Amino acid sequence: MRGRLFGRLAVAFVAVGVLVVALAGLLVERQLRTGLTAWIAAELVAKAEIIAQMPAARIGSQAPLLAKSAGARLTLIDAAGRVTADTDIGALNEGIENHLHRSEVQEARLRGRGTAIRYSQTEKMNFLYAAIPLAEGGYVRLARPLKEATGSIDEIRLPLFWDLVLVVCLVLVLALFFTFRAVSPIGRLAAFTDRIRQGDLTGMIRVESRGEIGRLAANINGIIAVLQEKIRAADEKRRQLESVFAGMSEGLVVLDAAGRIETVNRGMAALLSGCCGEAVGKTLLEALRSTPLHDAWEAFRRTGETTCLEIGLSGERALVLDVTISAVPGGSDRERKTLLVFHDVTRLKQLERVRTDFVANVTHEIRTPLTAIIGFVETLLQGAAADPERARAFLETIQANAQRLNRLVDDLLILSGFELGEMTLSPEAVDLAGALDQALAVVSPAAVRKGVRIVKDLPAVPPVRADRDRLAQVLLNVLDNAVKFTPTGGTVTLAAAAEGGGVTLRVSDTGQGIPRNEIPRLGERFYRADKARSRELGGTGLGLSIVKHLMKAHGGTLAIDSALGQGTTVSLRFPLWEAAP
Amino acid sequence: MERIRHTSAEYERELQEIKDGLLYLGALTEKALEQGSRALLDRDSELARKIMAEDDQVDRIDVEIEEKCIRLLALRQPAARDLRFITTAIKITGHLERIGDMAANIAEKILILNGLPQIKPYMDLPRMFEGVRGMIRQSLDAMVYEDVARAQRVREEDTVIDRLNDQIFRELLTFMLEDPHKIPVSLYVMQISKSLERIADHAEGIADMVVYMITGKSVRHKAGAEKR
Repeated sequence: MRGRLFGRLAVAFVAVGVLVVALAGLLVERQLRTGLTAWIAAELVAKAEIIAQMPAARIGSQAPLLAKSAGARLTLIDAAGRVTADTDIGALNEGIENHLHRSEVQEARLRGRGTAIRYSQTEKMNFLYAAIPLAEGGYVRLARPLKEATGSIDEIRLPLFWDLVLVVCLVLVLALFFTFRAVSPIGRLAAFTDRIRQGDLTGMIRVESRGEIGRLAANINGIIAVLQEKIRAADEKRRQLESVFAGMSEGLVVLDAAGRIETVNRGMAALLSGCCGEAVGKTLLEALRSTPLHDAWEAFRRTGETTCLEIGLSGERALVLDVTISAVPGGSDRERKTLLVFHDVTRLKQLERVRTDFVANVTHEIRTPLTAIIGFVETLLQGAAADPERARAFLETIQANAQRLNRLVDDLLILSGFELGEMTLSPEAVDLAGALDQALAVVSPAAVRKGVRIVKDLPAVPPVRADRDRLAQVLLNVLDNAVKFTPTGGTVTLAAAAEGGGVTLRVSDTGQGIPRNEIPRLGERFYRADKARSRELGGTGLGLSIVKHLMKAHGGTLAIDSALGQGTTVSLRFPLWEAAP
Repeated sequence: MERIRHTSAEYERELQEIKDGLLYLGALTEKALEQGSRALLDRDSELARKIMAEDDQVDRIDVEIEEKCIRLLALRQPAARDLRFITTAIKITGHLERIGDMAANIAEKILILNGLPQIKPYMDLPRMFEGVRGMIRQSLDAMVYEDVARAQRVREEDTVIDRLNDQIFRELLTFMLEDPHKIPVSLYVMQISKSLERIADHAEGIADMVVYMITGKSVRHKAGAEKR
């Protein structure tokens, strides 16, 4: 507020002004009084000296006249101090005191003139006395009331006072004006810095004055600029970190010193699908019911060593997560926070499992025929060769197994060809019905032998875009499976329909079906739904895998619909010949 | 919901330890059931034996929790909400310990079953395992998030489990009647089914305790009458 500083100065100025008026007035008055008194005394003395030139007798007789012309009371005193004449006292009487010892008389005796100011009992006021010694002895004394002298002073006292007051007021006004000019920038600076303190960093202050206040203002402006820059930089940094934190696909969780969840990023929320608004404030165990994670966290708390582990989470989705527990740097010992980073490795684990299964299966598939071959060869070498019939039987078995191995290698090669992208197709316009007939020609004998009926429901459909040989492979495989897994007396139905920009062929059987949860894995190499049965029926276990890849290479799809005890339908969708790539 | 701050951080920590202990037990029993389901479907006897061995840990933690609860009752003499929490915690840990025991029993039966030929693919049993695990998880979730609605859903799920149990019973009865050789396997499967049904009852008990913990109202025996 401008008030405080300016008010204080104003009050100070007024006080000084009043003091000046008082002091000046007093001093001037005293000076005047002294001067005037001295002047009047001098005048009185001069007049007395003139009168003292006359002989005493003359003075005595002319006393009233002399007193009147001097304008004072005249007293004649003899050398002994007796009053011989006095214009203010009527008749001389014995009662008048001896005046010899009055100070003016003494002074006159010693110095030739004497003055004094004395309070007169008779007149009840101050009188000014001037005494001059007479040549023949004795003194003449003139007296005037002091009031006469000082009366003029009293007269001028009041006008003088008002003059002084006027002067001081003028001076005050000027002083206040200039003070205001000097002080008001400070007030504006104060108001401006008030705003800054409230957090409003906008704007600058302008101050015209040079000198210290101008420098102050310039400095404040500079400080604001620096502050703003620092804040901007910090904000920028924070935003960067926030977006990193939020945008990471890994899940991040920060625990406070007590082990409660402080922050959770979006990646983590995605992993935990939905329960994360509530996770803040909970402990690890409350949010994620994983005992290995809890144990690892306890171990970390004790040792402080960064820990890595893999945990499984059950729930709506079964997840496998790779977790790293480490300390958040910075912060005091008491405030030690923990950072947990979660990687979703579910898919990785799944792929690993597929690979392991594949290797196990390949090994088994290769070993079985090999064992048979080796066994029979050994038997032959040990002497069975001698018996031609048995030898022939053994050799035929060896041949069959060797061919099985061969087929296996062929299929594996085909599959790896797909994966390496080496598969080349020569697509043509193919009539599905014709291709089916060719495939059926191969499969029908086995179907008839088994007592499985094949029913065709094939309306006219436009030609499809396919590689003729590969198509044959696909159809053979699918039909073969259908017949294989349909028990005696069952039916395999072939239906075709033009739909959705392509032609869909559906091969349905009335076999035992496949459990719903196993369907996604059917395309895996060597995956068999009913392991024991499938191996019995022959086949390499790679068929469906090959079909899947072939369909994909053609730009079509393979879909399998089945349920335990309800048969299976394999749907193959081929693109139309006209459909340009 | 506001977390109630206790005058002593120590006391707060002790209460949290009990809560964590219950969750730990819950996670262990869930895992035992998950492994049980897998041991059954994969006919994995190794896994079954592992489940039985790990029940020791469940028993040990149950005792620990109980001791902690009693200690708190003696030293802190809690009132109102805290008192409810601690007394229900004692009951919940009892339920969880029984669940653990039954999971171990199931594993024992699985061991036996693995030595006998399978008469049909297991379809309902895995569903029961899954359902029961869900019930345990939901009831403990209800405790963590103080959500009475979740505890309610657990009770509803119990009906489903009961029905599955009945279904298995009827199906196996048919098998046993048509072929006496199938009796041993059927009996063991029925025992497993029954154990799972009882586990579900325990999980429902936990949910009821949680409702009492949160609201102070007991819903235990009321619903039993409804069911009948």
